[in-house]
Formats: sequence, C-alpha cells, structure tokens
Amino acid sequence: MQAWNKISRMPAAAISKLQDELLQKMVTEQFAVRHPYYRNLFKEKGINALEIKGVSDLSKIPFTEKKDMLAPPGEPLHPKQFVLDYPAEDEVVEKKKGFSLFGKKDSGDDEIKFKFASLYFTAGRTAKAVPIEYTGYDIDNLKEAGARAFDILGLTRDDTLINAFSYAPNAYFWQMFYSTLDIGSTALQTGGGRVLGMEKILKAVDNLEAPVLAAAPGYARFALQTLDFFGLSAANLERIIIGIDFAPLAVVESIKKLMESVGTKNNLVQRIYFNSEAKSGIAECEPGFGYHINPDHLLVEIVDPESGAVLGEGEKGEIVITNLDARGTALLRFKTGDIATDGLVTEPCPNCKRTVPRIMGDIERKEHIFELQGPGGTIVLNGNQLRRMMFASDDVLVWYADINSSGAEDALKVVVKNVSGTDEAAVLKAVEESLKAEYQLSVTVESSSLDAIANKIGLEKAITEQNIFDNRGK
Amino acid sequence: MENWDKLSKMPYKEIKEMQDRKFRAFVANQLYIYSPYYSELLKEHKIDPLKIKGIEDLKHLPFTYKWDIAPTDENPKKHKDFVIRPDEEVTEKYGHLAKMSMTGGKDMVEERVYDFKPVHIHFTTGRTALPTPFVYSKRDLENLRESGTRLMNVFQFTNKDIFINCFPFAPHLAFWTSYFGAEKMNVAGFHSGGGKIVGTKNLMDAFEYMRPTVSVFIPGYCYYFLREAVKQGRDFSSIKKIFFGGERVPPGLKDKIKELLAQLGAEDVMVLATYGMTEAKVAWGECPSEDEYFGYHTYPDMEVFETIDPESGEPVGEGEEGEVVYSAIDWRGTAVLRYRTGDIAKGGLLYEPCPNCGRTVPRISSNIQRKSEMKEFSMTKVKGTLVNLNNFFPLLMSHPDVEEWQVEMRKRNNDPFDLDEIVLYVAPIGDINRESFVADIRQKVLRDTEVSLTDVIFKSVPELVSQLGMETELKEKRIVDNRPTT
Repeated sequence: MQAWNKISRMPAAAISKLQDELLQKMVTEQFAVRHPYYRNLFKEKGINALEIKGVSDLSKIPFTEKKDMLAPPGEPLHPKQFVLDYPAEDEVVEKKKGFSLFGKKDSGDDEIKFKFASLYFTAGRTAKAVPIEYTGYDIDNLKEAGARAFDILGLTRDDTLINAFSYAPNAYFWQMFYSTLDIGSTALQTGGGRVLGMEKILKAVDNLEAPVLAAAPGYARFALQTLDFFGLSAANLERIIIGIDFAPLAVVESIKKLMESVGTKNNLVQRIYFNSEAKSGIAECEPGFGYHINPDHLLVEIVDPESGAVLGEGEKGEIVITNLDARGTALLRFKTGDIATDGLVTEPCPNCKRTVPRIMGDIERKEHIFELQGPGGTIVLNGNQLRRMMFASDDVLVWYADINSSGAEDALKVVVKNVSGTDEAAVLKAVEESLKAEYQLSVTVESSSLDAIANKIGLEKAITEQNIFDNRGK
Repeated sequence: MENWDKLSKMPYKEIKEMQDRKFRAFVANQLYIYSPYYSELLKEHKIDPLKIKGIEDLKHLPFTYKWDIAPTDENPKKHKDFVIRPDEEVTEKYGHLAKMSMTGGKDMVEERVYDFKPVHIHFTTGRTALPTPFVYSKRDLENLRESGTRLMNVFQFTNKDIFINCFPFAPHLAFWTSYFGAEKMNVAGFHSGGGKIVGTKNLMDAFEYMRPTVSVFIPGYCYYFLREAVKQGRDFSSIKKIFFGGERVPPGLKDKIKELLAQLGAEDVMVLATYGMTEAKVAWGECPSEDEYFGYHTYPDMEVFETIDPESGEPVGEGEEGEVVYSAIDWRGTAVLRYRTGDIAKGGLLYEPCPNCGRTVPRISSNIQRKSEMKEFSMTKVKGTLVNLNNFFPLLMSHPDVEEWQVEMRKRNNDPFDLDEIVLYVAPIGDINRESFVADIRQKVLRDTEVSLTDVIFKSVPELVSQLGMETELKEKRIVDNRPTT
C-alpha cells in the first residue's frame, strides 16, 4: 500500500508504471499460483502469467462475470474458487527467511494477509448475492480506502455523521463505518430506514446537530421532503453524501435545491462509489469531477459492454475491475455491470489536482436497460435515464414504473405521489408529457398513496429502492 | 482497564480495593467535573467528591432512573447531560481543557480526543421510554472490545473459531459487542445483521459456506431458523457453540435448540447465555455448564453492581433476590451511577469464586427477570392484578407441544373502559389433542402467571411466524399489548 499523499500527486506515467508492476506481481504471485479459478483458467486458455507484464497485456485474459461466481445448485462452496489459497506452512517460513536475509522487515503477516476475517456480499442489487471473503489485509486496505475517500470528500473528525446507508454485509456500510471510526468523527450507524425508520433517522440528524448525512439518493430526497411532516429541523446539516444506488448529477442538483428549501446550513452534495468486489471504495471531490480511484488497490478498465473492446479516455463504457492488492476473494477483469457515462480519465483533477485516474459522469446500471416493443418496433428504454428524469422532478415525492405487455406492444405505467402542496393533476400531466416526449411508447401516469408506493419500492425495507418493475413474462 | 487473566483470579478483597480506588477517582476526576447531571446532583446533595472513600459510599447517592435520562418531546437532548464531556460549556466552568490543550500541545489534544470525543452511539430499545442514545469515546470502544473478548474468554472461544453474528443489526449493544469482540480477538466473522437483513435462506447459505463453529442469536429467531434449516435438510455440523442475547433462555428452549442442532449434524453443542444492557455499555457471559447455572461474570474494573429491594431501595445481602443496580466506574461518553435496571436477579449477586470456572469476579445470578414485563391488569371488576409476563417465556418456550406462540393483551370489545383479556395464539408441534392441550395450557398459565387465559387460538406456523414478525422485526413480537389507551 502506497502513501496516499504521495500517490495522489504522482504523474500519470508514474501511476501507470506502478499499476503495471502491481499487476504483474499480483498475476504471477497470486492469481496464477494461489487462485483456484484463475489458475485453472490460465491452464485451460494457455495463458502464460509471465507474459502479463502490464496493463496492456490484460486483454489476453478473459473477463470474469458475476455468473461465473454464482454457486450452482448443490455447490454452495463454488465461490471459494475465487478465494486465494492460504500459503503452505513451509512457504511462510521460507518467505520470512528470505525477507530477513535481505534485511527487510520481517512482517510475519502472512497469516493476517491470507486468513479469512470477514464475509461481505455483493451489493445485492440483482437477485443473487455472491459472498466476498475479506482477510485482515483486505480490511486494512478497506480502512485505508475509507480514509482516502474522507480525504477526498474533505471530511474531518469534527464532522458528526449520520450513516443512513442500509445495513447489509457489504462494503458500503462497512467502509463508511471504518472511515468514521478511524478518523474519529462522531457517528451514528443507523442501518438505514429498514432498521431505524425515517423518523428516528431525522431525529438523530436534528438532535445530534449533525452536519453530515450519508444516504442513498432517493432516501436523502425523501428525508428532506418529509422533515416538515415530522416537525424536525436539519438546520445544522451541511452536506449529504450519496451512494449505494444510482446517483446521477441530476439528483445531486435536486438534493441541493431541497437542502436549500428546508434551510440547511449549507447544501453540499457529494457522491461515492463502493462495491464489495473492488474492496476499495472511491469518492468524488466535487460532483462532476469524477470518482478518484485508488490506483494501488484497483485497476479500472472501461470496455464496450457488448464487444469487450477496451475504450479510450472519456468514452462511455462498462467498468471492469482488477484487484491489484487483495487477498481473500480476488478478481481479474471483473465486469461490474456498471456503466461510466463519461468513461475514465487520467489527467489531473482540475478541481483538487489529485493525479489518480477518475471514473467520470454518472454510473449507470446495465441491468436497468430494457428492450421494449413500441408501435414502431424495438426501442431501448434506459431505466437509468428514466430514474434521472424522475429524480429531477421537484414535485415528485416517490414513484415507480411498471413495464407491462399490452398485446404485441409493451407499455409503461408510471405511478406517482406528488409532493404535498403541489397540484396533483398538474404534476401527473407534466410527468406524462415529459415521458411521452422521451419514449415512443404507450405511457400512462397515475397517482397512488405514499404508503403504497413506499411499500412497493422498498423505501424503508430494501437496501436500495427499486423503481422499475419489468412485469413482462420472460 | 485491568488484565482480565489477572483480574479474574484476584481475591475479592483486592477487587473491592481496586473498585474503591477507581470509584473515588471516577467521581472526583470525571463525573464531578465533566458530567453535567452528576455534577449538579452531587452539589445538590452536598456530597464532597473528595470525601468519597469507596463503593460503600454509593448508598449516599440517589438512584438514577430510566426517565432521568430518556429524551422527552420537551427535552429531546436530555441524554447529553449524562455524557462526560469537557466541552466548551463545561470547561468554561470547570476544566479549561481548551486552554490546557493549547499549552499541552498536540499530544494532549489527541489524548483528550481519544478519551472523550464520542465516536460511536448505541440506543436503548425504547420499550418503555423513547430510545436513549449512549455514546462511546474511542477509549470506551477499547472497553467494549475488551468486554467482548472477556465474554468470549468466559465462553472459551479462540481465534481459531469461525463466527456468525445473527443478532439483528441496529445501533444496539448486542450486535456491536459481538462485532467488536470478534474483531479484537481476530475471529473470522460474518456479521449478518440477522434474518431481517439478509433473509433466512441467505443466512442458511452462509452457514453452509462458512461452516461456523460459533454463532450468536436472539433465542426466538434461533429456534425458528433451526427449524427451517431442519426442514431444508441443511448441514450445520460445524457448530460447537451457540450463544444468546436479548432475552432469557429457559432450560426447555435450550433442550429444543440442542435437539434441532443434532438433527442438523451438530452434536454436543453448548448453548450459552449473555446478559447486557445499553446503559452499562457491555454484556456479560454466563459461565458455561450443562446442568447448573453459575451466573454472569461481571467486569469489576468497569462497573459496580448492587442488588436492592425494589420497593424500599435498601441493599439486600449476597445471594438475595433484588433489583440489579449498575454504576460505571471507568467510562467516558455516557456514564450513569446507581442506575435502576428494572431487572430482578432472583439469586442476587454472588462474590465467592465461581464453583464452575474458579474466576473470582462478582457474578449476577442466572435467573434475571425484567420488571418492565410486569403489567397491571384488570381481569376482574377488582382492578390492578399485577401479571408477571416474564413467566410466559419459560412456560411456552419449553412446552413440548408448542412450536410458536404469541400472547396478546386486549380489551373486551376493544373498549378502553372494559375488562382486560389475555389471548394465547399457538402453533402446536404435530397433531395434538387440542382439547387436552388447551386444558393443560390454561392450568399452567394460571399456575405460573396467576391469570386465566381468555382464549386459546390455534394458528399455523407460517401465520404465527408472520404475526410475530420473525423475518421483519428487530425482535419478534412475542407479547403484544393491544389495549387501547384511554
């Protein structure tokens, strides 16, 4: 692990060289030797690990997808294929001797590096979650990534933080927990709405006079919109950190406006992007300046989701990750299913001047892109864009969309609860018009009660809310 | 904080001397200066902190009750007065910490931040009052970690164990003691958040994937979880120990759990119990034993316990039944003195070395009942029958014919001025003779609680599981008070 203040100021060429070295080391010393899945894959595909000298050689290795990791029926231990083997006893002794001979620090930490410490799961946005094993070494890296993310966000121990990310055994919750603990800020780990419920979370914001709230974007929006209902204040709130769910720039703007309207002290909104597989969550210094990657933990490629071709700087494509410094579960060229709308850039951040690579734009979910039958043939409904539009509608409190089959064609039904004090009929009409302008489809918009919609989207029940339901038979 | 190995072998006389020393220092150097509530209280009662000699002087202090701390709508920040906080408001009056920090430099500031700055918060479960936050400083978290390892030491865990934490996730003591204890002991763990968070099926998958040796549960959920696992033919043969928190574990339930575990391939599993409270900021483990109960082993370098007559408030003797009263002696963050827990230790406090393990620390007897589970009923025209709801648990959890149950208190005709009714919902195990079951259960409920059941209603297991909120609530709704308020 490199010193963050050094690595975050390194020229791009030096970072690229560092990543080449780390990749080569990881492939030859870990993936090719200790990793059951990749060891076999290399053999099967005739890949010589020694030929992977740097990032440019990565294309010789096939992608890994979530489906490769899922346990087939009757094989619950299949995900262990992706866990690095524990070193043999003689290997540990040999290595320690070697270190001592060269006068290097005999860390004696092989046990900690490889010993299973904690189990997390993939974020579970899709139906099946995959277990991801973390060792003590990975937890240390996760803590370090947390400290770096807080550095990028500009959080200090003077910031009292309410962590309203839903509790789940995944990296989002835990990295936030480690970050607050390590930095020494006062923090309430609420577990989110499904543990404490909205009222208690808002009371905590009020009573603890917290300047920082971390929450999923939809939940943050809803919290601000319901403050008044509960008769509470967020006068000390200065910033909201959003993540765990789709967090487009449009929602950043919408939350900023809401913060202003409820009279928060400041209205800073920042975005973070964590996932359990990466083992190293990342943050944006300011919205739009990109998620700053930890280049000593993680290699990010942006590829064409269909062809798999590696794309150039700033091109929209799927985020593919390779662990450069992980133990436990480790992945090579893992297709995350997340699309970076403005790709990856390596030039220094114009805002904070850090030189690490950045993932730009919004991070969309590939699974939210649907093919529908419209009157003029097949059309693509980008659910991410639909969510973006709905988030940006200031008068919409909560909503969901049903995709239904209607004869030979598909239809979109959007169910909305408008913000109190707005004209329901006018809101429905505006939503309908904007959707009809966007999609060449049969679109209907209707209203429903807050409870019914909140229940349907899992606002207080799920890790992240689900807004789009594809009801067509497969 | 003392070395646990040394502490747990210290003669009680030395433990007492240490407690006297710590208590004196705690009152004089922390509470009197930095705790707004106790500072005021000591002055009000004209108690000179420098004249306090030891824990015997506790009796000169008034009790602290739940309602003294719990936030109210009028005063939602009341809990802050119980936080040891050399902040501006307090240092203005007493400590001048800020000024000391300036002269003491960075190290002094860091040390003080470590000692006092709240970094972690738990809430009380708020059964009888609004949830109250209890805050921990970094120093307190070391105490919490240490308490977790002590608990695991009492239960004979090692860092070779593999651990699944099935406590429901919440900012509550149970989940976090398990987490911090496992973390400090370097025990591999999965902190699942319970069935409500990950789902029962996923939790079962995790058991088969990780093959844990130790797991921790709330008893009611454990019983449900294991029954489901048996139905699905799961393999839990790796389990060696299960420990419970959150509520009492009647002996009959322990037997049922062991039986189920045996069906899942886990033989000779030790079922262990813990006792904890948010206000004390730690939990204690019951000395493991198959047949006898040796009590919960406390941490005398962190707290002092008393047992008192709940009515008169007078101390009771060693081994005598009484209400457990807790005092912190080495904490920062939120700290309480002479806190009335509302828990009745049937066998009182015990100071002689544990006959089972030989540890010399004070023990709280195993049979603890919550006073808050005593409810007043108007079952007849004569008002005010006091019903001990605690007694439903051992009776129904241990009953060989009962798979799931729930007790509902309601008003006849849902009229707040009418008589109270108690209804038992029950899902029996297999085919039973319902008539004789009802007769038996009515007679046993009358014997154990001194009230008659108004009705016994049979339900299917899935219906009752849903009614209990087994997969949706933090803790299942075993006793429900649906009486409308007047």
